[in-house]
Amino acid sequence: MAKALVLVPFAMDAQGVANRRAQMKGVRLGPDIDFDFKPVTAGPEMYVSPHDFVLMDMAIFEAGLEAQNDGYDAVCIDSMSDSALDALRSVLTIPVIGPAKASMLFALMLGNKFAILCQWEYAQIRTIKLVRSLGLEPFCACVENYDVRPDYVNLMTGKEDETFPPMLAACERAIARGADVLILGSTTMHQAHEWLSQRLPVPLVNPGPLSYKLVETVLGLGLTHSPKPYPKPLVEHYDMIHAMMQAAAKVPKGRRTT
Amino acid sequence: MPAKAKPHDQRKKVLVLVPFPMSGEHLDMRIAQSRTLDFGPGIEFHYKPVKWAGTNFVGPYDYVIGDLTMLEAGLKAQDDGYDAVCIDTMSDSGVAALRAVLDIPVVGPGRATILTAMLLGDKFGMLVMWDRWLGLYKKVMDELGVWHKYVGYQSIDTPPDRFSLLGGEEKVVFPKLLKAGERLVSENKADVIILGSTSMHQARDFLAENLPVPVISPGPLSYGVAQMLITQKLAQSRKAYPRPVGRSDVYLHAMLDAAAAAAKTGPKVLGSEGAKAAPAARKSR
Repeated sequence: MAKALVLVPFAMDAQGVANRRAQMKGVRLGPDIDFDFKPVTAGPEMYVSPHDFVLMDMAIFEAGLEAQNDGYDAVCIDSMSDSALDALRSVLTIPVIGPAKASMLFALMLGNKFAILCQWEYAQIRTIKLVRSLGLEPFCACVENYDVRPDYVNLMTGKEDETFPPMLAACERAIARGADVLILGSTTMHQAHEWLSQRLPVPLVNPGPLSYKLVETVLGLGLTHSPKPYPKPLVEHYDMIHAMMQAAAKVPKGRRTT
Repeated sequence: MPAKAKPHDQRKKVLVLVPFPMSGEHLDMRIAQSRTLDFGPGIEFHYKPVKWAGTNFVGPYDYVIGDLTMLEAGLKAQDDGYDAVCIDTMSDSGVAALRAVLDIPVVGPGRATILTAMLLGDKFGMLVMWDRWLGLYKKVMDELGVWHKYVGYQSIDTPPDRFSLLGGEEKVVFPKLLKAGERLVSENKADVIILGSTSMHQARDFLAENLPVPVISPGPLSYGVAQMLITQKLAQSRKAYPRPVGRSDVYLHAMLDAAAAAAKTGPKVLGSEGAKAAPAARKSR
């Protein structure tokens, strides 16, 4: 039985992790693979600013550093930021899949131009940057937002009526701008996937479940990432990295700033 | 009548963040960058090394650490009275995060040199000491989307010493760099050359005198850009670099203090460890 590790990008309790794990319902997997969900030791409270991106990179990196030593066969990052994707690939030889890069490339297997649906402007700004960094601007019709503040722990539970219709309207705007495949811009949006899919005339990629299926596929094909673009560090400092995140976890809530 | 401010009070202060912990003569070699050009009497540069760092920046592992250590080192720059921040590494580590928390200009030499090179010519190339630096520029070029303006690189494939820089190696290294620079012009067709690291600044004048195209030394260039932004009263766009909902200063200081404490118990790594250490050696356990 293969074992994959899904790294959850915020420090959260069992219920929060269960909400993330519910993404497993969105994909049919074979009997030979199992997924564990692991929240980071510590990390940012929100994900809106480059200040948070730096913290998230280190948080996910630390959470995944030992995955191979712990017996896992693959790693997924449960965030469309693809935080620490390259860094984890530089220290692990097992496949590491980030849902953002994966879902954009996968969308191009289904159509010619994709669009990404984001919760709010903050996510829209960083997603536009990510699309450019990946060199995929010519294939991106647009990045839309539906202007609802995300809840990284409770997700959309109880807020379906106020959230789903503006999401649908944003999807329709994206199609009008030339998108023939749509991508949910956050793994936290998975609860809306089925509802939206039933109402849209084009495919809607659900990035978390897609990343799980990709893990199963690459393991089945005996593939992993190339070592060439992800060179190993000259010296490893795992003790310092773990010490950093353990120190961060000890800072009381509400005392982070001063 | 209000008292006239003394000239010293009008002087602008720039904080240069050094990506490795260092002091003494090693830090002096970094500081020497501010003396390579005449920035005038109205500005001074103060250098601050990070509390802890990894080793040479050779891959994504090091970039994650670099972003965090530089952010932590620069958090208080504005409160401490600085007018701008420069980053003493072509990786532009921590630049985006510092731009998000500071209102004073934050200048990374990676982005600044590439955009300046495009201002001076059509196509630019990188002159590097070591092939393993190439990932440093990828991040900036990906962000800017300017790969079509990049003609490639020439390397002398000599692992650098991030502490002593080129000190004592001039007779060996300078001619090699010149030959590589000539190839960059004749074979790659670069019409502007960027030195691949702030640590190469000692070679800049020699290369500029002997090569037929502009040679940009990234550290001093970033100081010049910072000075210009201060003078023009300009800084980064808040729209592109949104503030965090809450800053994490206490959190970040605790993290770096813990890393520095843990590092004291491990072996010290100095000099051009890159050549000897690959493949990765786990030094911390």
